[in-house]
Amino acid sequence: MRIRTPREQRILYFKTILRWTLYYLVIFLCFLIMTSGTWTKPILLVPCAVAIAVGNGQYSSAVSGAFCGFLIDIACGKLVGYNAALLAVFCIIISLLYELYLRNKFVNYIVITAVLAYIQCWLDYKFYYEMWEYDNVERIFSQLSMKVWALTIISACLIYIIIEFINKKLMPKNHVTIEEAINTAIRSEK
Amino acid sequence: MRDFLKSTKFKVLLFFVAFLIGIMVYSVTRGGYSLRGVSFFNTITKPFRSASNGISRGVEDTLDKYTHASEYYEENQQLKEEIGRLNRELTEYEALKAEVEELRELVSIKQEHEDFEYTEACDVIGYITNDPFMSFTIAKGKAEGITPNCPVVTAEGLVGITVDVSEHTSTVRTILSPDLSVAAVNSKSNKDMGIIEGDILSAESGNTRLIHINKGNTLKKGDLIITSGTSGLFPKDYSIGKIKSISPDSNGISDCAVIEPCCDVTRLSSVYVITNFTGKREDLNENKDTP
Repeated sequence: MRIRTPREQRILYFKTILRWTLYYLVIFLCFLIMTSGTWTKPILLVPCAVAIAVGNGQYSSAVSGAFCGFLIDIACGKLVGYNAALLAVFCIIISLLYELYLRNKFVNYIVITAVLAYIQCWLDYKFYYEMWEYDNVERIFSQLSMKVWALTIISACLIYIIIEFINKKLMPKNHVTIEEAINTAIRSEK
Repeated sequence: MRDFLKSTKFKVLLFFVAFLIGIMVYSVTRGGYSLRGVSFFNTITKPFRSASNGISRGVEDTLDKYTHASEYYEENQQLKEEIGRLNRELTEYEALKAEVEELRELVSIKQEHEDFEYTEACDVIGYITNDPFMSFTIAKGKAEGITPNCPVVTAEGLVGITVDVSEHTSTVRTILSPDLSVAAVNSKSNKDMGIIEGDILSAESGNTRLIHINKGNTLKKGDLIITSGTSGLFPKDYSIGKIKSISPDSNGISDCAVIEPCCDVTRLSSVYVITNFTGKREDLNENKDTP
């Protein structure tokens, strides 16, 4: 790994702080949108947490996922910690998946978001409606949960663009020396 | 992945998740109260949420107008139709109401004067143009049994007399006119008699006059003047108006009083025509009624 100069180091710190500030600004805006108005709205914080987890490590993904989960709990009036634990776990898994197996592509992101959003909606339906055996409870899933899920997937496109834009401008790039590049190429050939 | 599961990072993350689950469990035990952190967060974000909610409501309302434009259009059309229907009903209602009021008036008049024969309420088509005595045309005529010299009244009092009767319309000369003379008497004392006859000056203020009152009369301001019915042209004891003022007549041998008609003849919408009453002179062609 190439040694960074003090100036480059300072720029890296600055960009990292700015990047996370922007992440949390986006999270906060998503929270505000979720808590505003009377219409049925997407769970914007799910794709937001996924998008952040895609390009970051497990620790930061877990924290941002937990934070997004807490905000979902507050916004949706759920048991505090329920979505936080759920999203923290999923964000760690997503971060690992991207680190080990997946490439940063939109298709991967949207599929993961769709799966996670579906799980979140399904668990929400199970724990908050079906478990209590309300009359015509299945309508909740078909009329509300599925609508929220669809809206979440649609809105995920916009979230992805915003987070990717932030990553593109502020994510530190891995600088490698020629020797490291050659060694990596040799290892891959073997 | 195996390396990750063995790493310290995994243990730390596991602890973190356990911590979150602990928070969840703890929040269950709070018995309806928020966690301190949540309360703090809610307090901080409250103004932002309020502002955002306000914006969102505005946006929703705006978008709602566009997304439901067709529904609103249809609803608007339906409401317009309903308004039209209600307006028609209202018009009918108003007509019925007016009719009921007219009938009530008629009933009250009939109760007072059982011997009178009335036409139905006659709508005032319009006043004669530039007539200073406020003659007007009514929407009933010969077809409804009206003849010339029929008294025209309202529930309040005497209005005038029919002078020009056609098949379905009639012209009414009012008591403001000097061409109409009505024998009148004080309702309190039959001794104080006179003739109702309008003049230009009184007509300007919507009043008429009681002339040829004997000197030494007991009339005073506010006395009610009624028809005497001596000529057979007007029914007896029908209200005409109240005395506004009394003064000596220009001839010096009698007094004259300004009479304020019981009904405002300048603003009539409908009247009744008395086609027959006890004591009516059948052979009368003149509209002069002398005491």
